Amino acid sequence: MIEARGITRTYQTHGQFTGTRTVHALRGVDFTLPEGGAVSFIGESGCGKTTLGKILTGLETFDGGELVVDGVELSALKPRQRAKYFRRIQMIHQDPYSALNPTRTIEATLGDPLRMRAREKGGTGAGPGAWRERACELLTLVGLEPEAVLPKYPHQLSGGQRQRVVIARALTVDPQVLIADEAVSMIDVSMRLGILGLLRDLRSRLGISLVFITHDVATARYVGDGGELHVIYRGEVVERGLTDDVILSPVHPYTQCLLSAVPIMRGLEEPGPDRTAPTRALDERTDTPGCLFEPRCPFATDECFTTHPTLVPLGGDGAGVGAGEAEGVGAAEHQHACLNPAARRVVGVEVGAGAAGP
Amino acid sequence: MSEVQVRGLTVEYQTSAGWLPAVAGASLDLRAGEITGLVGESGSGKSTLALSLLNAVPAPGRIAAGSIEVAGVGDVVRLTGRQLRKVRGGELGYVFQASQNSLNPLKTIGKQLLDLGRSHEVSDLRALIARAKDLANRMGLDGDRVLDSYQHELSGGMRQRVGIVFALVLNAKVLILDEPTTALDMLSQASVLDIVRKVHDENQLSTLIITHDIGAISEIADRLAVMYGGRIVEDGPLLDVLRRPTHPYTKALIGATARITGDVDAARPLPGRPPDLTTVARVGCVFRERCPFAVAACADTEPPLEAWEAGRRRACHVEPSTVLAGQPGTPAAVGEPA
Repeated sequence: MIEARGITRTYQTHGQFTGTRTVHALRGVDFTLPEGGAVSFIGESGCGKTTLGKILTGLETFDGGELVVDGVELSALKPRQRAKYFRRIQMIHQDPYSALNPTRTIEATLGDPLRMRAREKGGTGAGPGAWRERACELLTLVGLEPEAVLPKYPHQLSGGQRQRVVIARALTVDPQVLIADEAVSMIDVSMRLGILGLLRDLRSRLGISLVFITHDVATARYVGDGGELHVIYRGEVVERGLTDDVILSPVHPYTQCLLSAVPIMRGLEEPGPDRTAPTRALDERTDTPGCLFEPRCPFATDECFTTHPTLVPLGGDGAGVGAGEAEGVGAAEHQHACLNPAARRVVGVEVGAGAAGP
Repeated sequence: MSEVQVRGLTVEYQTSAGWLPAVAGASLDLRAGEITGLVGESGSGKSTLALSLLNAVPAPGRIAAGSIEVAGVGDVVRLTGRQLRKVRGGELGYVFQASQNSLNPLKTIGKQLLDLGRSHEVSDLRALIARAKDLANRMGLDGDRVLDSYQHELSGGMRQRVGIVFALVLNAKVLILDEPTTALDMLSQASVLDIVRKVHDENQLSTLIITHDIGAISEIADRLAVMYGGRIVEDGPLLDVLRRPTHPYTKALIGATARITGDVDAARPLPGRPPDLTTVARVGCVFRERCPFAVAACADTEPPLEAWEAGRRRACHVEPSTVLAGQPGTPAAVGEPA
């Protein structure tokens, strides 16, 4: 469906006194999103994950690499020709409070794209009122009651309901891919699972593929089976594989730091014995010839300072962990970019897992 | 030993439908040396409760009933004018929700600190600056650099720490943090939580953390109070409440949290939507519409918050053992889904 090959994006900033500075937002990201599949990107603020989401929806350009949608290379096309491919990819924004126009009712918000879509498809039995039917259908699909929601303004809905309206709006143009950029981070914890369940449902019922961008690793587990997880750091993917593989047996120190930062439900979970944290805060300005994470890495060696690691399959260099997965079964092979990968138990463990079940 | 005692606190807001309670008859103790977590969904009244600890409920709200006794200060509800201003930021340190946005963008942090000192009539401003630097250094910030910075030069996590410095620099004994980790990414969240625990222990504070994220709070709190529809529905020692939640809401909230361990399919979203000021039930239990255990009594009588075991309180008609044993069955969901 979507294939990204070495996407890069560089920004130039011109300070008033400091001269030109180059910011590498993305340094060659590649991934393949199959039809109905799911790819999650995790990373901290400023790692380039939002830039990636914008590039995938055509809101931002890329200056290197290639984006292939349905087998068509987009960089060769003129902007007008690209539009029809980007229409198949729709974005769910982070903040449902600012993503909806406060002066328009939900009916107006959904009506415009639906009418446009109906004109595009031509008059296949679509009367003037057909879009309203479709709006009701979509709202029901996202778990809202059409009659109650249509006449309302965004401020009359709760955060969870608004996010569902945003999803319904994304679905008006019959997309094949949804990009969810921090789609649940502004929503109450109690409502998050509902939205995640809906995204999973859309995958299985409509076959929509999903790109899930988040800083909260735990939510990436809830978008459904067969999902891949890519850990992105300063614009570079440092570890990737099947979501469960990466979460349960991370080998890159950055992934391990991220997973260590996930709060432990004390009483229900025990912290992992090898919990770790970066030695200092992120500073995008540090330039290093070696590993990008080296300045913050608790396990860095001299070699890390000089040699830039690239993604290699786990176990290929003899340092692997789970012997069972070392063969790299299937397409989603567990890969990492670390010179000294080591398994560390950083994820919380359920208290009495298995033994004293309820 | 309680540093702060909230008793029968009712806070109302004026709406077109009359005065409606956002907090109704809440009672809560903040004990010396303990971190209390107050958890609730948006609209549960948790921020209103926190603001009333400063007697700072914004118009059109008012504290209609109840008392808030702070050790060494007296009843905050009765304070006015100068006395009240001295207590705010003095004995009671408050870190505001989105403290990123509560700093003045036109002044350096140091200048704002001096403003704080002058308004509290601190005679030795040099000592104040020294103390602020010391606090900042202990939180892993570079004190000198931070005081010379404008707020836009600091990251989200750093601003949150500056908020904590401001709250503690006048030797507050009580620290209140409203949503300290919302809008921070996982790594900054973990370091801010670490720092809160550290300054709490070092200064022997009584800390109240308000949040909607039961996962984040469970990392550092000693006690947990759960709020729903303006009522505190359950409280007790954190580990015990997490292991044995006896209010159906607490149980549902724990079950609805996205976690990194455990069975993905076992997690269930809470049905229905949280009530707000106008939709909260006037008679009976406020949670009954979303409650899988609701019985007939829930519709007409509001359950009082009562101790059922040493150190544990709950407000529910159903027996604790039933809730503990009960499977989270299909709840009688009424109204629209969230």
